Amino acid sequence: MSDQEYSGLTGRIVKYTIHNSADVYRLGFWVGLVSFIMITLFPFYWLLVLAVTPDNQLYQMGFVPENFNIGVFATVVQEYPLHHYIFNSILIATITVIVCITLGSLAGYAFGRVDFPGKGPLLVLLLVISYFPGIAFLIPLFELLTGSLSILGTPTPDLYNTPWGMVFPFTMLSLPITIFILTTFYSQIPDGLEDAARVEGTTRLGALFRVIMPLSAPGVVTAAIIVFIGVYREFFFSFIMTDGSPENWAVLVYGILNFQQQHTQMYNMMAAASLIGIIPIAVLVIIAQEHIVRGLTAGGLKE
Amino acid sequence: MKQKVQQAVSPIFLRIEQLDEAKYGFLLVSPVFLVLSVLAFYPLVRTLYFSLQDDDLTGMHPIGEFVGLENYVQILSGDANAILTSPFFDLQAPFSSALIVTLLITGVSVAIGTLMGLGMAIILNKEFKGRRYARTIVILPWSIPIVIQGMMFFLLFQPSLSPFVEPLANLGVFSDNPLINSQDSTIIVILIDIWRKIPFIALIIMAGIASIDRNLYDVAEVAGATKWQQFRLITLPQIKPVLFIGMIFYTISSMKIYGIVEASAGCSTVPTLTCLVVQTFRQQRWATASAIAFITALVIAVIIMVYVVRYRESTNE
Repeated sequence: MSDQEYSGLTGRIVKYTIHNSADVYRLGFWVGLVSFIMITLFPFYWLLVLAVTPDNQLYQMGFVPENFNIGVFATVVQEYPLHHYIFNSILIATITVIVCITLGSLAGYAFGRVDFPGKGPLLVLLLVISYFPGIAFLIPLFELLTGSLSILGTPTPDLYNTPWGMVFPFTMLSLPITIFILTTFYSQIPDGLEDAARVEGTTRLGALFRVIMPLSAPGVVTAAIIVFIGVYREFFFSFIMTDGSPENWAVLVYGILNFQQQHTQMYNMMAAASLIGIIPIAVLVIIAQEHIVRGLTAGGLKE
Repeated sequence: MKQKVQQAVSPIFLRIEQLDEAKYGFLLVSPVFLVLSVLAFYPLVRTLYFSLQDDDLTGMHPIGEFVGLENYVQILSGDANAILTSPFFDLQAPFSSALIVTLLITGVSVAIGTLMGLGMAIILNKEFKGRRYARTIVILPWSIPIVIQGMMFFLLFQPSLSPFVEPLANLGVFSDNPLINSQDSTIIVILIDIWRKIPFIALIIMAGIASIDRNLYDVAEVAGATKWQQFRLITLPQIKPVLFIGMIFYTISSMKIYGIVEASAGCSTVPTLTCLVVQTFRQQRWATASAIAFITALVIAVIIMVYVVRYRESTNE
C-alpha cells in the first residue's frame, strides 16, 4: 500500500493505529480504566456535594459545592438517631453471621470432606432455596414470625419488631451461600493432615474443631464477611419485619427511608445519612477486598 | 463442674465416634436442614397452598376456600387486573404492567451490564500499578446497602437539585420530573441496576480469565494473532461457562428487583413483579399475592431453561 491512501486526518489516524497498535491498545486500556472508576465514583461524589451544601442553597446545583457545611454529619446523628439504626443493622448482621457460620461449618465440612449418599441432591436443594425470590417465602414467614400461626393450639411467638424477626429470614437467605463457600474451602484441605490427627488419637469431632477449622480459617472469614455484607445491604425483610422506629429494631433501611418519607425536602440529610451508612461497608471492603473477591467467585462458581 | 460436663457428654462423643461415614455425614448436615425446613421449605409449600385458595377479605384469616388454579387463571388472563394495584400484563400500558416492566429491566440490564462487566474484567485483569485500589473502588457499588443504591439515584435525578435533569429534558430524553414518569423511572432503575451489578459480573468473569492457560496466549503471539483475535478465539470460548453462570445469577437477581425501586421512584411508578406481590399482600389478598409470587418463580425458571438450552446448543457446535 502506498502512503497516499492515508491522506487527511482520518487517514493519518488509521496509519498511526496500524503502525503503533501497542500504543493505541495502552490508550484504550487507560481510557477504559478511568471511565469505569469515574462511573463508579460519581454517585458517591454527588452524595458528598449534596451533604455539605447548606440546606438553603439546595437548588439548581452545580458539580462543585459552593459552601461547606460539615456540621450536617453531626446533625444527622444528634437530631435523628441514625447511629441507632446502624447499630441495629450491625448487631443483627453479627447475630446472623454467628448462626450461619455455626450451622454452616458442620454442613460445609460434611459436604466437602465426608462421603455420604444423597450429597448431590441435598446440595441441589440448597441451590433451589437461593433460586426462589424472597416474595415466595414472605407471607408464611410473616405469619410464622408474627404470632398469627398456632401449632397444636400454642401460637408462635410474635417476633415483629424484634431482632429475631429479621435474623430468622436472613439466616434462611444466607445459609446456602455460607455452605457453598465453606464446602469449597474444606474440600481443599489435604486429607493427610486430618488422617495424621486421627492417628495421633484425636476424635473425629476433635479433628474437625482442632485441625480442620483452624486450617480453613480463611474460608470461615470469607463466608462471615460475605454474609455480613449480604445482611447489612438487605432490603426486603428489613423493610417488612419492623414498623420503622429504631426502638423497635428498625435497621438502616428505615434510617435512610424515613428522611425520604417524613422529611421530604431534607436532601442534604439524606445524602449525609447515606454516606454515614456506607462507612462500615467501605471499611470492610478496604480491609477485606481479597476475601470478598474470593468469596463471591467461590460461591458463584460452585455449581 | 468441668469434669461433670465432660462425663455427661463423653458418651455422646463416643457414639459419634462409632458412627459410619454415611451416618456421620447426615448427622453433620441435619441441623442445617432442620432449620431450613422450618424457614424455607415449609414457607414455600405454604405459599403454594395459599395460591390455590380464595382471598378472604372479611374473615379472621385472609385465606378463603380452595379454588384450585383459579387465581393463576385470573392473573394470567388479565381478569385479576381490576383488583391489583397495577396490571400484571397489559400491552396497552406496557410501563405500568408488572411483567413487562420487570422483563424489560432485566433484559436491558443483563445485556448492557454483562458487556460492561466483560470490559471491566479484561481491564482489571491486567497487571498495573494500583490495581488493588482500582479493584477495591469498583467493588463498592455492589457492596453498599440496597436502600442507599436507590437513594443515590433518587438524589441524582431530583429535578430541583440535579444538573442533569434540565439538559436531558431539553434534549427530549427525559420529562421535567423523571422520577414520577413511569417510562423515565424505568430507565433510571435500569441505570441503577447496571451500575451496581457490573462489579459482580466482572468479578465472576475475572475468575474465569484467571484460570485460562497462559501458554495459549504465548502460542497465539508467536503465530502472529492480534489482540482482538486472541480475545475472540481464546478468551471468549474459555470463559463461556463462567459467563453463562454469571448471567444466570444476574438475571435471577434482576427479576427479583424491588429495593432500589422502593428507595428511588417508588412501586407505583415502576411496578415490578416483587412490588406487585408486596402491594397485593398489604391489601390482605394473601392468596392472589402468593399466586403472583409463584408465577414470578415460574417465569424465572423458563428464562433459566432458555439459557441452558442455548448454552448446550452453542457448546455442541
